[in-house]
Amino acid sequence: MSMTGELRLGFIPLVDAAPLIVAQEKGFFAQQGLSVALSREGSWATIRDKVSAGALDGAHMLAPMVLAASLGVGSEPRAMIAPLALNQGGAAVTLSTRLTGDGEPGARLAHLARRRQEEGASPLTLAVVYPYSIHNYLLRHWMAGLGLNPDVDVRLTVAPPSRTADLLAEGVIEGFCAGAPWNAVAEAAGVGQTVARIGDVWPSAPDKVLGVTEFWAAANPAALRALLRALIAAAAWAADVGNKTELAAMLSRPEYLGVTPQAILASLGEICFTGGEVNPPRPEQAHWLLEQMTRWGQIGEVASDKVAERTWRPDLYLAAEGG
Amino acid sequence: MRVLIIDPDPARAALVAEGLIGIDPLEVRLAAVFDESAAAAFQPDVVVVASESPDRDTLESLREASAANPRPVVMFVDRSEPGLAEEAVRAGVAAYVVDGLSAARVRPILEVAMSRFHLMHQLRADLAKAKADLASRKTVERAKSLLMKERALDEEAAYRLLRKLSMDTGRPLGAVAADLLAFAGVLKGGDPI
Repeated sequence: MSMTGELRLGFIPLVDAAPLIVAQEKGFFAQQGLSVALSREGSWATIRDKVSAGALDGAHMLAPMVLAASLGVGSEPRAMIAPLALNQGGAAVTLSTRLTGDGEPGARLAHLARRRQEEGASPLTLAVVYPYSIHNYLLRHWMAGLGLNPDVDVRLTVAPPSRTADLLAEGVIEGFCAGAPWNAVAEAAGVGQTVARIGDVWPSAPDKVLGVTEFWAAANPAALRALLRALIAAAAWAADVGNKTELAAMLSRPEYLGVTPQAILASLGEICFTGGEVNPPRPEQAHWLLEQMTRWGQIGEVASDKVAERTWRPDLYLAAEGG
Repeated sequence: MRVLIIDPDPARAALVAEGLIGIDPLEVRLAAVFDESAAAAFQPDVVVVASESPDRDTLESLREASAANPRPVVMFVDRSEPGLAEEAVRAGVAAYVVDGLSAARVRPILEVAMSRFHLMHQLRADLAKAKADLASRKTVERAKSLLMKERALDEEAAYRLLRKLSMDTGRPLGAVAADLLAFAGVLKGGDPI
């Protein structure tokens, strides 16, 4: 693609897709000479495959997806990079209100999981958004803290975030870990209560990143630089509390998230789009994510330094930010 | 073999199912969403899923065998057929298979799905174009009658005038006709059409 061609960027309907949506709606892409077509996708697997096949130039991605795709776990290997982190915060564990009456909900969950085991009943089911996500690692870590083995004592499944509130209501799942606004949506529907937020557990965990293939980045340095500059400016706009109402209204539109502005406003406080160390991709984040993937058996031994150096690219971020 | 087609678009799913009739022996089931217990009862060997279905991520997570999921599934990739994966991505379809199923048995199914997805896309595009053409033709007819009435032209002359306006402005005939009708409405003091 040339600077005059159209860039195709994918996103999943989540509050943390805000930098891409804002860059489009508030003209930050145009300011950088970019013409962008945003493509709303239904699943992370489709995001990965489209970026991998070149049907998208880049996308809003779960941070661990970049590592999984590069290592070829869960898909054919394709070298991907993260030249920009899009946000921190927003991921949270929400449990069914059936479990959150009196007392400590975590303890109740643990108790119920044990009782099901003793009775030989089917295990409690909880959902995450994708196997390679900090949502999966957060839920597992949180359950381990309750003395539960997430691979044995409960059943973990994957569910589309937009369906989590319904699945809670129908009793198909007893809890889930997803990003904003879906925890707030379940709370607003009266079917769930948020019991753990990533900000309280791992405040600097990288959540979503901009993901592109290494090949595309090498072939399109000018477009990538312009893209990063536009997204950095858009992230600053999204982080400005003065823009909160406008941002919530923009994201709530049917072509973007299609949820009420109230649900988005309720989640904005938990998410950092910029400031401090949010946007530069720091290789120690890749190390930490690889540790999580190892901890839960998704990968074996890997040359962590090499993988982190090749996938997490602060050099590209700094070049764009500085220029 | 049992094939489960997951597609929020029922017409397209039916088109794929119809295409699979030629492949024998095959039992085909259609669903708009992936229901784990229904799938467990059907025990599909192949799941064909539309890219826009959010259930793809659930299918991705069934890689591990468990009590609830005794038959682990993986995304179908045929390494002997380079470019097939990219083609499927562009067609908007993916296939998941029970681990270990031979590529030769799955490829014809994916190929039918891909061609039917293309066909559906083409049919929808043709329909949209036909609708737009029809609307444009109606607009041109109305603009022509307006010119015939207001400028006392015959049908042929009215059409030639519209054609000239279209060529002079480099805009499609339908657009010029729509403008003319809108302006006429404003000049008459009515609401723009």
